[in-house]
Amino acid sequence: MERRKFIQSMLTASAVAATVTPVALMAKEEAKKAAPKGPNALSIDAAIDAITGGKGAKDSDKVQLTVPEIAENGAVVPVKVHVDHPMEENNSVKAIHVLAAKNSNSRCADVMLTPANAKAYFATRIKLSSTQEVVGLAELSDGTFIKAGKSVKVTIGGCG
Amino acid sequence: MAEARKSMIKIKPKKFKVGDTVKVDFIVIHPMDTGLKKDKKTGKIIPAKYIDNITFLFDGKPFTTMKVWETVSTNPYFSVNYKVTGKGKITVDYTDNTGEKNSKSKKLKPKG
Repeated sequence: MERRKFIQSMLTASAVAATVTPVALMAKEEAKKAAPKGPNALSIDAAIDAITGGKGAKDSDKVQLTVPEIAENGAVVPVKVHVDHPMEENNSVKAIHVLAAKNSNSRCADVMLTPANAKAYFATRIKLSSTQEVVGLAELSDGTFIKAGKSVKVTIGGCG
Repeated sequence: MAEARKSMIKIKPKKFKVGDTVKVDFIVIHPMDTGLKKDKKTGKIIPAKYIDNITFLFDGKPFTTMKVWETVSTNPYFSVNYKVTGKGKITVDYTDNTGEKNSKSKKLKPKG
């Protein structure tokens, strides 16, 4: 009898250990990742507030964001932003902003456009630290802000 | 101007007329260090070095200005549209956070 009890207790103990340790490790790793670092660390909410002056931005179909669904290499993720809006003297897209929600610095690029551009279009390549949402934000000449977001799955992060 | 960086301006499509809208692509060889990565050999953190301001000019008149951060990829690529108004020169001026200034130009020759 004693031997049986001993073995049973051993089994349960090992099972508990097996379930506890990975969870604890994961939590530690997440805490490491979540800690903001770097000289320009800025969260996405703070970045949007800074851009819009606290007004916030509306989701809109006018902003067409082209990003890959799955990015194998997080160091090079192509992003295209196209805003379906005329570019006339008094009715234009003033600026396009590209933001990445979970990077330590979520601001990627601010592009100030003029009517000479003829089309509100901007393309670049950005780094993504992990699977996250990429946001394209456009400022119109009447002072309103519109945005669109798309999630990108990242296999290997590229933010050091 | 510490060192001349390799950079390139591409106009797409190659053949265009006055009044056409073309894509102006700008590519530059630049490390874009975030200041977070460690050098594997020495164990020291590589200091941040990234392009922060870019201005696209046509005959000295700016038509697009950009502010970018270290989250843009190494050897960055930027693309904007431009409506051709005539013959001239497209210039891209760029500075990085360490104060390095560079510039690149390309002639714009519309046909017809």
